[in-house]
Amino acid sequence: MTGLLAPPEDARALRKLADSPPPRTPRATSPWRRTGRIGLYLVLIVAAAGLFAPFIWMITSSLKTSNEVFSIPVTWVPEIFVWNNYVEIWTKSDMLTWLRNTLFLSVVVTFLQVLTGSFAAYGFARIRFPGRDALFLVYIGTIAVPWQSYMIPQFILLSELKVSNTLWAIVLLQAFGAFGVFLMKQFYETIPEDLSEAARLDGLSEYGIWRRIMLPLSIPALASLALLTFVNTWNDYLGPLIYLRNPDLWTIQLGLKSFVSSLYDTNYALLFAGLVISVIPIAIIFLLGQKYFVEGIATSGMKG
Amino acid sequence: MATTTATEVAAQPPVSPAPPAVSGKRRRSRLRRRNTLLGWSFILPNFLGFALLTLVPIIVLFYMSLTNWNVFGTANWVGFANFERLIGDGSFRISVLNTLYYSALHIPLTFVVALGLALLLNNKLRGVAFFRTAAFFPYITSIVAIAIVWNLLFSPDYGPINEILRFFGMENPPGWLTSSDWAMPAVVIVSTWRDMGYYMILFLAGLQTVPRELHEAARVDGASTIQRFFNVTLPSLRPTTFFVTVMLTINSFKIFDLILVMTEGGPGQSTLVISQFIYTKGFEESQFGYASAASVALFFMCIIVTVAQFLLNKKRSV
Amino acid sequence: MKRKFVVAASMAMVATLALSACGGSSDDAAEEGGPVTLSMSGWSLATTPEFQVLADGYMAQNPDVKVELKEYDPVNYNTLLTADLAAGSGPDIIVQKEVKFVSTFQEGGQLVDVTDVELPDDIGGTEAYDIDGASYAVPYRQDSWVVFYNKALYDQAGVEYPDGSWTWDDFAETEEALAAGLEGTAAFGGYQHGWQSTVQGFANAQVPDADILSGDFGHLKEYYERVLKLQDDKAQVDFNTRNANQLTYQGEFGKQKAAMLTMGSWFVATLIAQQAAGEADDFDWGIAPAPQYDESTAGIDNVPVTFGDPTGLGINAAVTGAKLDAAKDFLAYAASEDAALSLAEIGITPALLNDTVVETYFELEGTPDDELTEFAVSTHKTLPENPTSSKTAAIQNILLDLHTAVMSGSEPIGSAIDAAEERFENEIGD
Repeated sequence: MTGLLAPPEDARALRKLADSPPPRTPRATSPWRRTGRIGLYLVLIVAAAGLFAPFIWMITSSLKTSNEVFSIPVTWVPEIFVWNNYVEIWTKSDMLTWLRNTLFLSVVVTFLQVLTGSFAAYGFARIRFPGRDALFLVYIGTIAVPWQSYMIPQFILLSELKVSNTLWAIVLLQAFGAFGVFLMKQFYETIPEDLSEAARLDGLSEYGIWRRIMLPLSIPALASLALLTFVNTWNDYLGPLIYLRNPDLWTIQLGLKSFVSSLYDTNYALLFAGLVISVIPIAIIFLLGQKYFVEGIATSGMKG
Repeated sequence: MATTTATEVAAQPPVSPAPPAVSGKRRRSRLRRRNTLLGWSFILPNFLGFALLTLVPIIVLFYMSLTNWNVFGTANWVGFANFERLIGDGSFRISVLNTLYYSALHIPLTFVVALGLALLLNNKLRGVAFFRTAAFFPYITSIVAIAIVWNLLFSPDYGPINEILRFFGMENPPGWLTSSDWAMPAVVIVSTWRDMGYYMILFLAGLQTVPRELHEAARVDGASTIQRFFNVTLPSLRPTTFFVTVMLTINSFKIFDLILVMTEGGPGQSTLVISQFIYTKGFEESQFGYASAASVALFFMCIIVTVAQFLLNKKRSV
Repeated sequence: MKRKFVVAASMAMVATLALSACGGSSDDAAEEGGPVTLSMSGWSLATTPEFQVLADGYMAQNPDVKVELKEYDPVNYNTLLTADLAAGSGPDIIVQKEVKFVSTFQEGGQLVDVTDVELPDDIGGTEAYDIDGASYAVPYRQDSWVVFYNKALYDQAGVEYPDGSWTWDDFAETEEALAAGLEGTAAFGGYQHGWQSTVQGFANAQVPDADILSGDFGHLKEYYERVLKLQDDKAQVDFNTRNANQLTYQGEFGKQKAAMLTMGSWFVATLIAQQAAGEADDFDWGIAPAPQYDESTAGIDNVPVTFGDPTGLGINAAVTGAKLDAAKDFLAYAASEDAALSLAEIGITPALLNDTVVETYFELEGTPDDELTEFAVSTHKTLPENPTSSKTAAIQNILLDLHTAVMSGSEPIGSAIDAAEERFENEIGD
């Protein structure tokens, strides 16, 4: 890694270049460039339409009656707009409870996952001790086993610990995964050792280095981990299905499914209405949190 | 920067010092113990939860693969009988081939698309936040909705996709999810569409770690965009690409939810993958010992590939 | 460090194994008389009233017993129940939703032998719960497959209503006639749902000497050929479109997109409710007995053969003492005429179908009042869709793959049957 870093004096000059606004050359406004830009936007818009299409179908279907959702040919616009589906979800179902539970779970799991994951990742990335690589391989190995394979022994274990049928079961299940450790370890490896070296020479303990150097420098990674963990916990269905039996513990996915289905019958229009409502918080979080993913960071924090 | 004297440096042994010739061995072992304690102190919070909730059940799973447990009765030891049975099991063989087929298509496709998206959207285009959200939307949409919509889109006689293909002159457009030849490619398309936003996020985060000075240095040196990509961006991205490749591989081998809701392994067994085989044997036919053996087989498949990737990565980053 | 870890892990593992190997751990202490509480599993409680009806009916007759319902997800019912039983937190009364899991529960020692529970003489569906000469559950509900037909569309197509004497050839002829008569409209002659049972259920029950447990599947050929022809002639929506557009039988029949439909008797209650709520169109409909293999069982002078599985109640093996007595009493109630009457009132076909029960069933508003419907609902020989055996689940999976392969046109029926029989040898053959 060290071979790739520019020597400090050049680094200073280059940093100036990199940080300064791009020069306003005629190149930026040439017609060729502009059509290229427009073409790019067109492609992006068409692609975005394709990406949003299923969601749009979901929204329009949520406004149909249940027997109208599936038909030949495919209908995009409902015959009559059944706004009542949304009203029904809010008033007749327990949506608020489900929202509250899901929010609680997502926030707690994300917080724990990011905290313990980045903490453990530092140990794996920066500290050499015997058995480290083997242990890390074990971590990754557990990702390689599909969850339904060990779901039953895990369920028995958690039932014996008396946390089954409580929200803590889900927290325990999701907060200590190997994914977060793996992700953060990879990102820590992109941070030059010299920074930590300098800090160590300054008298900072390893914990201090983690807190004051590694964490701030890995904000995009932390933000990504937080977002992905949040989304996964928010949309998790099987885990809550097995562990959260009391209706007042249900998450949105669970509650919706139960509200709209009986054995042979599912009211898909109602289900879609609920799913639309469920997606909105995540979309908002993602939109607002954009800057954390692409925040520019100073990688070469060499002072002087 | 504070000045340090030689004594201060000597008083705090650095992480990997060159041990002085005289008391080398004792120093090294003391250092080792210190590092071990230090390392474990970082890992412990996560490890405790991980060991209890994931590692222990998985160890039980490994043990179960050597028994004929049906979840209620006692687990009777049968040694490697389950594995012998797996080798002769035609359905298992089909599921392995299908999984490999799926992965061979899905992994490179998703990798390239996700990286491309990340590069494209890693700049200050107007409305780029909107486009990033669009790319991520498939991942946050419910899987049930995705399966339903794509089933409709792929409908052979009435679906929009085939209508467009017929419009362009194709007489016999593929049957997609209803054809045993085209079901898997159709699944790969949907799966890539869904996953690209997810891996795009990871790549985006990784792209932030590429030092801008290097780009400037290269540009000053006269390198073109493509050259800069291959000589500056890619090498700096290595930890991220390693991560993405490993996760992509493991997730592809493990694929389950999407295929279950889209095709349930059909038509026939053309989209039966290992995870579904495990689920069917375990939960529908109550042969948990046998299903555990299949899980162990899947595990080893993933590990072998992951270790190969590990070694490759280690060699490259020297 | 490593060694300590291994030791700790193996201890934990042994502990978990010990726990999992002993199945139901928490033993309810025998109650000394006084109120007894029984828990009973159920699904979709909000939209499936039968469990509460049974519970309420029993509690009315036995004030010192409380029956509490435990809600389960309908689609994953067996998975969740398995997990609960494995962890020792299963319900006292276990509703047997699917017959193919009964042998798993029984072999795992999860069900109490209930041979001594008194059942009415003419109750149907008990064979499904007989294993090795003992009975492990009691049926309270028996569904059977019949033909639903839309009288309005029949009139429109100029086809005569069914008279109860159909063989499958008659059925196919009628569907083609309906399709011809309804040409130009959005309606098809018939609708066939995507489940394997729509073809295989009939074939297994009606073809003489057919037995899927034997690994011989040749009897399916005729039935599939007939269905494929109906598909090719566009008398009904083809399987691929049905799956891709995820059509529902409630939607297709209820919105008059098909003139007739083979379906289980549970649809009656749903159809009535949907017509009342306006989700289904308002039209006259009736029920005809299932088409027969040949004329020997056809017609209203004979007993038509059809298929269907019972739903029953079993008792958790962990239940003992006074609780066990109460549980057995509850099972006896569920099979009794009182329970059957209260179930018939909500449009469910109970396992006990004597004249009084049938009368009550047809008193429900919205049920068709013609004679053929009454005959179809009350008179039938219903054979199991799923024979009770530990091999059934695996065999049904093989047959499901056959169904999707053949119906989607991916594989011809002949080679599909050969492949299925080969798989049977390879994966199941004992």
